[in-house]
Amino acid sequence: MNPEILAYTQMAVSGALMGLAYALVAYGFQLTFAAGKAVNFGQGELVMLGAFVGLTLTGIGIPYWLSIAGAMAVGTGLGWFVERSAVRLALKQHNEGWILLTIIIGLFAVSAAENIWGREDKPYPVPWQDGSIDFYGISVTWPEITIAAGALGAMILIEIAKRCTMFGIAVQAVSADPDAAELCGIRSTSATSLSWAVSGAAAAFAGTIIGPVTTVGPTMAAALTLKAFSVAVVAGLDSAIGLVFTGIFLGTVENLSGFLLGSGWRETPGLILLILALALRPQGIFGKKIIRKV
Amino acid sequence: MNAHRSFLALLLAFSCSATATAADVVKIALTGPFSGGSAPMGISMRDGAKLAIAQINQKGGIDVAGKKMKIEIIERDDEGKNDRGALVAQEISSMNDVSAVIGTVNTGIAIMGDKYYVQKGIVKIISPAAGSASMTQWSKAGIQDIPIFRFAAHDGIQSQMVVEQAVKLGARRVAILHDDTNYGVSGRDDLLSQIRNQGEKLKVVAIEKFAIGDKDMTGQLMKAKIAGAQAILIWGIGPELAAVASGKKKLGYNVPMIGGWTLSMSNFIDTAGPAGNGALMPQTFIEDESIARAKPFIQAYRKVYGVNRIPSPVSAAQGYDSALLLAEAIHQAGSTQPSKIKAALENLTGVVKGAITDWKKPWSKWDPANEESHEAFRRSYTVMGKVENGRVVLANPGDKALLDRNRN
Repeated sequence: MNPEILAYTQMAVSGALMGLAYALVAYGFQLTFAAGKAVNFGQGELVMLGAFVGLTLTGIGIPYWLSIAGAMAVGTGLGWFVERSAVRLALKQHNEGWILLTIIIGLFAVSAAENIWGREDKPYPVPWQDGSIDFYGISVTWPEITIAAGALGAMILIEIAKRCTMFGIAVQAVSADPDAAELCGIRSTSATSLSWAVSGAAAAFAGTIIGPVTTVGPTMAAALTLKAFSVAVVAGLDSAIGLVFTGIFLGTVENLSGFLLGSGWRETPGLILLILALALRPQGIFGKKIIRKV
Repeated sequence: MNAHRSFLALLLAFSCSATATAADVVKIALTGPFSGGSAPMGISMRDGAKLAIAQINQKGGIDVAGKKMKIEIIERDDEGKNDRGALVAQEISSMNDVSAVIGTVNTGIAIMGDKYYVQKGIVKIISPAAGSASMTQWSKAGIQDIPIFRFAAHDGIQSQMVVEQAVKLGARRVAILHDDTNYGVSGRDDLLSQIRNQGEKLKVVAIEKFAIGDKDMTGQLMKAKIAGAQAILIWGIGPELAAVASGKKKLGYNVPMIGGWTLSMSNFIDTAGPAGNGALMPQTFIEDESIARAKPFIQAYRKVYGVNRIPSPVSAAQGYDSALLLAEAIHQAGSTQPSKIKAALENLTGVVKGAITDWKKPWSKWDPANEESHEAFRRSYTVMGKVENGRVVLANPGDKALLDRNRN
């Protein structure tokens, strides 16, 4: 293949794989938004904490797979904690205080991580072999494949659980109409708590699969939150498949523009996309228009 | 009334004791990044200097005009951030009793902060920051007298060696990768001017930059690869250098990576893992106990700090030797006054046996036209190091004799 075209393909493939990581983090926004109509602006920090917990567990000799489970357990607890401590009260009072509160919890998480684990970026060791796989000249590493498979797998599992389990259906019911759900005997607060806990677990899981590619440090969340938020807003807050497409698209565009225009321009297309989406389709490209009856 | 009087007496006693201690100690500040991406260098420099100071204090201190004075250390973490570094410099220069400063890892901090020391005339030994700009900012402005000295192989020397090495390895087409800090940009310029000076034996086919915190270098490396670069000349710090090494491995792009001494940082070596093997960089010190001169220092450092590998051996040895040189200058000056210490540093008469070499008059009087006047290191002191299985070893084993000899 022509080396130029090969280079573009390589950049696109790398970007698309990383884009799935954005989609997974964005999915965390979607989960909490569905149930409580609030999102965690500290979602990226949960990813970071999950990565650090996983890294610490592998550090004491626990295998990678178990460290993922451990990180997810901590993530579940943290997601639940954020909802109980910051979001529930604000929503009860019908104000937007949860925006600030989740940001504050995120900042607190960064300081805590700096104090516990230090400010250095650390490598996250993974069990599979080093090196990369070659598809007709395009190199893909095992950690990248893990991101893609893990992100898709986690989203598919949660989507199935939402449709086929009692808990999932309860959450959907609360999402559709909390008052009607209460009348059917569903405790809407429990359903909201559940969705935040699942969102926390997804974030921690994302941390353990992103960490091996990006290294783990207290500041790894900053860029991730912004990009995941762009993906969530552009795709809309109620379509998982939309997130996957938007994530792949954003990752690809970002990498290609960095390649074509110079590395300083990497972030620009994502932001332009965000502005366009907010201006032209505020409900998201894949979103349904919500008509609020007042 | 009584209480009043005793309070006054207490105050008087307190102020007396304060002045007494102030007169008996020499205050030296150590500054550098003790956290963040350049922390291995900052911490090693600080710990190396503290080791020398502890050894001096153990012998009763520095003999200043017949009086033994202990050294008191003031430590400040500049976090490797330019604005924070400027604040630290401001703070230290406003303390009236600091005799000298050793430190600074990040060239940008030297540019932002050293003017405060120059204004107050406080002696500063820059170590281990290597960026050319931290000294040329004074020579280019034609400043006639500065109290700033450097104790590190500056980038002029390093870029010369890097270009020579690339030529030696048979590369004809090279790519330059650098970070977008003052250090990276001035390193790029040094490389370009060295390539010109050495007769354009290398053709630069790609110049790519990256930002602090970037993890994915695929784009920059793809460009270098497409352009057919046979070697990568690189100027950056640990975490990003590691990302470049991993990216090279991912793309199966097996060309030599040659760069500034930062390729010896532990956070490069550890993060890159096997991908970092073979990286080449100039070194003033190699952590190798079979080098007789280096052995006592290496053993003392490992014992005191409980490590079996120094995070940045070059920084540690330079911190150690610079503290010894400073102590010698204070002794020679017979005073803790910065202006007299500065004069002594410019004309050291004694020989200082350091971990790197026997230092004889490392610095001379400042001359803006002579770029070596306040620089301690020369090309001949510096060797090529290579990353090999988690450590830095000599790229050319024949250089061991050079490190062992008294080179001055």
